[in-house]
Amino acid sequence: MKKHLKKVIALALMAVMALSFTACGGGSSEDNGEVNIYMWSEYISQDVVDRFTEETGIKVNFSYMNTSEEAVAKITSGGGDAYDLVMPCDADITSLIEGGYLAEINLDNVPNLDNLGDAYKNRVFDPENKYAIPYLMNYVYVVYNPETCPIEIKSYDDLCDPKLKGQIASVTGQRNLFPIALVALGYDANSTDEGEIKEAYEWLKNYVPNVTGFDSDSAETMLINGASSVGLLFDGQASKAFSEMGDDALVVAELENPVQLGVDELVIPANAKNKENAEAFLNFILDAQNMADNLQTMMDNDGQAYACPNEAAVALMGDDYQKAPALDIPKSVKENYFLQLDVGDAAKVYDKYWTMLMSDEQQ
Amino acid sequence: MKTENQRLSKRLRRKRAGRRWGNVFAVAVFTFIYIPVAMMVLFSFNDQRTNYYWNGFTFEWYEYLFTKSTLWENLVVSLIVAVASVILSLIVGVLGAIGLSRFEFKLKKTINSSLYIPIVIPEVVLGISLLLLFDFCQFPLGYWSMILSHTTFCVPFVVIIMRGRIAGMDMSVEEASMDLGANRIYTFFNITLPMMVPGIMSAAFMSFTLSIDDVIITNFVSGPYATTLPIKILSMVKVGLKPEVNALTTIMVFVLVLGIVCNSIFQAAAKRRASKKVVTYY
Amino acid sequence: MAKGKLRNNAPAIATAGPVSVWMIIFVLLPLIYILVISFMTRSSYGGIDYTFTLDNYKEMLQPLYLSVIVKSFKLAFLTTAICLVVGYPLAYWIASKPFKTAGNLLMLVMIPYWTSSLVRLYSTNLLVMPNGFINTALMKLGLIDQPLDLLYSDTMVLVGLLVTCLPFSVLPLYSSIEKMDKSLIEASKDLGANSVQTFLRVTIPQTAPGIAGCIILVFIPSLGMYYVPEILGGGKVMLIGTLVKNQFLVTKNWPFGASMAILLILITLAIMLIYTRFNKLEDLEVC
Repeated sequence: MKKHLKKVIALALMAVMALSFTACGGGSSEDNGEVNIYMWSEYISQDVVDRFTEETGIKVNFSYMNTSEEAVAKITSGGGDAYDLVMPCDADITSLIEGGYLAEINLDNVPNLDNLGDAYKNRVFDPENKYAIPYLMNYVYVVYNPETCPIEIKSYDDLCDPKLKGQIASVTGQRNLFPIALVALGYDANSTDEGEIKEAYEWLKNYVPNVTGFDSDSAETMLINGASSVGLLFDGQASKAFSEMGDDALVVAELENPVQLGVDELVIPANAKNKENAEAFLNFILDAQNMADNLQTMMDNDGQAYACPNEAAVALMGDDYQKAPALDIPKSVKENYFLQLDVGDAAKVYDKYWTMLMSDEQQ
Repeated sequence: MKTENQRLSKRLRRKRAGRRWGNVFAVAVFTFIYIPVAMMVLFSFNDQRTNYYWNGFTFEWYEYLFTKSTLWENLVVSLIVAVASVILSLIVGVLGAIGLSRFEFKLKKTINSSLYIPIVIPEVVLGISLLLLFDFCQFPLGYWSMILSHTTFCVPFVVIIMRGRIAGMDMSVEEASMDLGANRIYTFFNITLPMMVPGIMSAAFMSFTLSIDDVIITNFVSGPYATTLPIKILSMVKVGLKPEVNALTTIMVFVLVLGIVCNSIFQAAAKRRASKKVVTYY
Repeated sequence: MAKGKLRNNAPAIATAGPVSVWMIIFVLLPLIYILVISFMTRSSYGGIDYTFTLDNYKEMLQPLYLSVIVKSFKLAFLTTAICLVVGYPLAYWIASKPFKTAGNLLMLVMIPYWTSSLVRLYSTNLLVMPNGFINTALMKLGLIDQPLDLLYSDTMVLVGLLVTCLPFSVLPLYSSIEKMDKSLIEASKDLGANSVQTFLRVTIPQTAPGIAGCIILVFIPSLGMYYVPEILGGGKVMLIGTLVKNQFLVTKNWPFGASMAILLILITLAIMLIYTRFNKLEDLEVC
């Protein structure tokens, strides 16, 4: 009995020791030959990353986020120094700059910045391109199934048509839906006026009954399974719906209102340990050929085609990307967009009305 | 007038009927609990890139899992974190259970009540508060922050399970050992600890179960070097759950069930062997 | 003198020491911090402004937030009630088996937890899609001609909560039923009490620690399980867990989120206080 016990204890100790080694082995490589990136999962091609490691000798460690809010949390509270590149969305950049959480990017190390389209350089929230580099982007637009959808959709207001009761597969979150309601009402998408926000809430109250289900991750499931005939979706989700249902099964609605464009940014936290490696990575991924390969692999592997602000890279892409139904959307939609901006203190007002909307007795 | 016998047999009949309904009821409840598991297993064989609907049978995802998938790395991380936090929480929890049930000290009441806090507060709050703590101490996020956090929510379960066992234990054996001249430490390792083994086993089982499936807390305290399987799955939801994930979780369940079956066969065999010998331990 | 005292206390320090230190560092201190920030203000860009205010607590009393709280309570109450009604007989049934079999049956209850709960919830969702198995089967059998509207309903949220919580309700119930002195039941029946009377007067009081444990393990977590309504409710149901999460992650109004977390902790303490009026806290069964 006694012998047995000793064995167990010895084993336990060995396990703890082995573990300490693994943990330290992961944590203490101080040779600077690495870059730690916190971003969305399945959002970059491993082949392209491997090529980066091959070319530069810098090892890339990924961790994955589930919401853009988490990216902000990782930069602002705890672990800000644990990452060298983080991917918040464009709406968060202002408050991150204000709070002094971001490091200035040394643009001499990132000459490939020129590959970006003009619209994505020197933007309002980062006029000198000092803090945020756009990576990929996504539209939130409307698609519908012409066979099952009872009406033709031409504006956001049509989404509130009672004929569509329980028909819409929708993205969710106050930051996605309020701007759309505000735009439908003709207000600024990032309004901070409580009266306007309240009107948007009233608008959304007519929208909610038409929604089959809210899901920012896989709303396309409802379209594919026939539970919904309309989708207010990210283009990535739409592209999955197209590849599952066929290119002609859905139509991208030509709205008279502007659509939402969200950009996933890459930023360097102020305390980043491997800033130069991070800049090397930024420059690498901004290279036209690298980015094109990145887009192509993701399309081949996951069936997802992403919109990309890197115009030089897009020019290198073949027809399967250019003509992908989720991306090959009418110019009127593509060029008539609005951005999400930080709304500061009004976030509290939005949250109040969002809570109100979601806690109203369900119809 | 009913005789005593009739009354008894009526009770017996009723009891038998009750047992039959009991079995039917239990099967129904187990079916309910296992429908989602069955669906999960079924969809691991689905011939589709993302699980949307049943599109036909394939083994492709198992093949993919064993050839290309990187999910194994995440499973290894999950297992390392789970095993380490089980060990840590057993050390802290078993000692704690002894201390809290045998000794009186000033903070006892506070500690006793604080044990229930990690069990009952919303996981978001515990996750946030642990993140704040690590932030405050400048403690790097990674394996250890995850292990410490998992230990924090496992320790209370260990203490509570062990306290129950200790309450039912025969203290006189320990006293006898000390009376016979053994010191406290010798007595602890040779008498007290072996007596607690069944309790420790179930505490370890409980902690492992809690650790391996934790999403919310781990999400806050994970760092750049390691991602556990549930966190990886959560982030994969973004692009749709692939049958690959179902395949891996199916294999996990299969292996664990196999482990239990083997264990109980092994135990039964051990018991048969033991019963042949003269039992002196008890 | 001091040395002697230390030696006397050595066993207590060696055993209760680590757990005390652990709970203080990892649970109590962070919670005190949460309590402190619940009285602070949100700064413009989502940080914490260290100015004292009671507004967070006042705001919680607005009808809007009260209605979320009430709705969450209704759902949590229903979940707990069903878990008790279903879990108690199941635990009783398991306890009536030989010890070995009972152990294996409890394992069987816990096995689903070794799979990812997310994968299980998403798989359940596929079952009730318009072209999912349930609808296809019913339509093939000719029982219905239109797909049933099961998807994203309150019923599915309840099903999800039950699937997630039921196992955790069986454990505490089982351990207190197993410990129960069965001879008392026989005695009660021999003394002429009928089954209902025996159950109410003998069985229930004896298993109170398990029932209380079940309530605590199911009620509070089902207030906070935000991913269940998100996945199975089509994101249309706002529960207090979602609200707390939103305050910390979306709105970045940490002080308000903290005050709601404090409310949840107070509710928990209240349940435990009521319990300790009748029983010892140490007897509470949670696993």
